[in-house]
Amino acid sequence: MTSPNGLICFTNCLLPQEDGALVHKDLWIDERRGVILDSQKTFFLRKERPDRVIDLGGNILSPGFIDIQINGAYNFDFSIYEGDDEAYRAGLRTVAEKIVETGVTSLLPTIITQERSLYPKLLHLLRPYSSTGSATLLGWHAEGPFIQFAKRGAHAPQFLLSAQNGLKSFDEVYGAENLAVTEDWLMAGEGEDGPVGVRVITAAPEVEGVGSSIEELTRRGIVFSIGHSIASTGLATAAVQSGARLITHLFNAMPQLHHRDPSIIGLLGASPHLSSPPTSPVSPTFPTGASALHRVPSGVKRAAAEKGPQATSEAFDDVQTPPQTPVLRAHDIGELSLQKGKVAEMSFERPFYEMIVDGIHSHPNSVRLAYSSYPEGCVLITDAMKILDPNLKDGVHEWRDGKRFVKAGDKLYLEGTDTLAGSVVTLDKCVRNFSRFTGCSLGEAIKCATYNPAKCLGIEHKKGTLRPGADADLVVLDRKGKVLGTWVRGHEVWKRESS
Amino acid sequence: MRLIIRDDPKAVGEYIGNYIAKRINDFNPTPEKPFVLGLPTGSSPIPTYKHLISLVKAGKLSFKNVVTFNMDEYVGLPEDHPESYHTFMFREFFSHVDIPPSQVNILNGNAKNLIEECKDYEAKIKKYGGIELFLGGIGEDGHIAFNEPGSSLASRTRIKTLAYDTILANARFFNNDIAAVPRMALTVGVATVLESREVVVVVTGQRKALALSKAIEEGVNHLWTLSALQLHPWALIVVDEDATAELHVKTVKYFKSIERVQDEVEAAHEALKKQGVDEPVGSME
Repeated sequence: MTSPNGLICFTNCLLPQEDGALVHKDLWIDERRGVILDSQKTFFLRKERPDRVIDLGGNILSPGFIDIQINGAYNFDFSIYEGDDEAYRAGLRTVAEKIVETGVTSLLPTIITQERSLYPKLLHLLRPYSSTGSATLLGWHAEGPFIQFAKRGAHAPQFLLSAQNGLKSFDEVYGAENLAVTEDWLMAGEGEDGPVGVRVITAAPEVEGVGSSIEELTRRGIVFSIGHSIASTGLATAAVQSGARLITHLFNAMPQLHHRDPSIIGLLGASPHLSSPPTSPVSPTFPTGASALHRVPSGVKRAAAEKGPQATSEAFDDVQTPPQTPVLRAHDIGELSLQKGKVAEMSFERPFYEMIVDGIHSHPNSVRLAYSSYPEGCVLITDAMKILDPNLKDGVHEWRDGKRFVKAGDKLYLEGTDTLAGSVVTLDKCVRNFSRFTGCSLGEAIKCATYNPAKCLGIEHKKGTLRPGADADLVVLDRKGKVLGTWVRGHEVWKRESS
Repeated sequence: MRLIIRDDPKAVGEYIGNYIAKRINDFNPTPEKPFVLGLPTGSSPIPTYKHLISLVKAGKLSFKNVVTFNMDEYVGLPEDHPESYHTFMFREFFSHVDIPPSQVNILNGNAKNLIEECKDYEAKIKKYGGIELFLGGIGEDGHIAFNEPGSSLASRTRIKTLAYDTILANARFFNNDIAAVPRMALTVGVATVLESREVVVVVTGQRKALALSKAIEEGVNHLWTLSALQLHPWALIVVDEDATAELHVKTVKYFKSIERVQDEVEAAHEALKKQGVDEPVGSME
C-alpha cells in the first residue's frame, strides 16, 4: 500500500530521541525519496500533509538498528571468499535481505584476519551496497591482521602481521585504493545527500608500526578501533589522542581492568587530571620496535598459545601484574571546581566502545559498569558468526576447516571444548538485554544501537536518527523491545506475522 | 453576552470543543462555503484543542472544509522557532487534525513589508466573507490577541509593541532571557475580532480573575481590551471556577441561573435560521 501523495504519517507512537528520551510524537516520511521529513515545514511551506496515516497503537518507532561488527549471518561468512565474486555478492545480499527481521537496517560486514593477499579483493567487494527491500551494507570493518598475538582470540595466528613500514604496510595489505582519502565510490558521500560509506580498522596500537599510522588513517576518514591489544594505559591514551575513536568488543581480547594500569578499559574513566596536561602538549609516542609500553605476556602462556590454532580463552589468560602506577607529574593548576556535578573540562574525548550484550561475553555487572562510566560512548554490537539466524535450532553445526560449533541458546562453543567461538545473539535481543542489565530505559538502550554507532562512524546525519533529512530506516518495537516491523528508506521490508 | 462556568480547565475545554464542533457541523461546510474559524495560541485553549482533536479522531468532526485564521505571531522569530505561533499551532493542533495546509492562515512575522502583510490578512478574511467564529483567550492584563492595554478598540490587523508585562510573562519560554523575547508582534485588531459573527473566549485560572471582572463587570475600557466584547451581539465567555474569584457573587449567581436557559436560546436560534433569518439572534440580555 502506498500513499497517493507519497507522504506517510506515523501516529500514536513513541519516538526515541538523540538524548535517549521517548516522546509521544508523530513522524512524517517521504516514501518516494526515502527520507524523514520536517513535518512542520512540509505543512506550512510545501502545503502538504500525508495522505496515508499509520496508527502504531502506542508502540515505539525507532531509527533502524546499526550493527558495526558482524562477521556473518544466515550461513554466510563475510570472511570466506571462494574465488567467486558473484557467489560472494549473493551471500551479502542474502544477509542484507534477511537481517531486517532483527531490526537491523544498516550493518558493517566485518572480516577477521585473513591470508594477506585476500584483503584487496574482499575490501573491494565490500563497497557500500543498498537496494530496495534490504538493509544497507555500510562498507567494511577489517578486524586484523595488525593485532596482538597474545590477544588474538579466534584469529588465525599464522596470518597476524606487524606494520614495520607504518602506513605503507597498511596500504600493501589492505590495498592502497581501499584506503584512499576518497574512493571513486565516495566513502564520505556526496555532500549531505550522497550515500554513506564507512571503513573501520581494528588493530593493536602496540604492534610495530600501528600506533604511528593512526593519525594518517584517521585523516583519510577511516575509523581506527583499538582491539585485540595489550596496550598500556599510556599507549592506549596516545592512540586516542592520535585519532582512535572506538574500542573493539570492550572487555574481550584485552587486558582485564587492573587498577594500577587500567589499560584500554581504563579509557572509559579517562581522568581530567591526566588527559590534558596544561603545560606541554604531549605528542603521542609509539614504539618503533620491541617496547615496554605494553604489558608483557608471561612466557609460559605465550608458549602455550603458540602450540596450535586453538582459540584461547580471552577472559582469563592474564598477563603479569603491572608493578605500580607510574609516578605522575603533579601539576598544580590552582583552583578546583566549586560547582557540584560539573566535571572539569577535558580536551581528551573518550572513545566509543563496543559491547556484546548477550549475557555471555560480558557479565551484566561489567556491562553496567562500562555504561555507567560513559553512557554516550556505548555501542551495541552482535559480533555474530555466520550461524546467526533467529530461526536456527540449537545443536551442532558445521563451521570451517572441519571444525564444528555447538549452539546452545545464545552460547556458541567449539565442539568438544568450552571455548567461546563468537556470538549468535541478534541486535534486538542485545537492546532488550542491555536495558535489563543496566537498568536504563528502553529509549536509552535504543540509543546505543542507533545514534551512538552512527555518531561513531560520522553518519549521524543520515542514519541512527529521526532528524529531518535522515534516511527513513525505521523499526517498530513493542514496549518490551520486540521487533514488529522494519522499514528501509521509506518502505516496509519486514513485518511480524500476527500470531 | 453569555458566561458559562465549569469546574476546571478540562471541563471548559470539553464545553468549548463540543460547542465549536456543533457550530461547524450545523454549518455543514463545503469547499465552496467553508467554515471560517479564528484561533488563538497560549495555554488556555490547549484543553479545547485536545478535545477537538479527540472529536476528529472519533470521526465526529472534520476540518476538511474549515478555513482558519490565527490571531497573532511574533515579529522576527523564525517560523520554526520552538516558541513561534506557527510551531505552537502545528504541534498542538494542525498536525493532529485533517485540515488541508492551504486552508491555514497565520500572519507572517518575517514578511519584508509587515504593513502590507497586515493589510493582506484583513483582505483575505474579507474575501472569505468574514470570520464565522473567533475563539480567543486573554492575558492577565485583559488583552485579547496582542491588543495590549491602551489599544484602540477600533483597531485592525497591525504591528504591535508588546507590553512590558507580556514580555516578562513570556520570558519563561525563552530561557528566562528577557532580551531574547520578541518586542513586537503582528496581531488582529479588536475591531477584527468584534467583526466576526460570533466570539468565544476561554478564561481559566485565578491569575485571570481580575481581568475577567474588569471585562464584564465594568464599562468598556481600552485598558482591558476584552471589555470591548460587551459591544458584540453574540459573545460567549467560558471560564473555570478559579477565574470567577474576583466576580461579585451576584454576577456568578446570575450567569449560573441563566445557563439552563441556554438550550432554549440555542433552539430558538436554530428555528430562526431554518426560517431563513441569518443574523444572530443576540444574547439573553
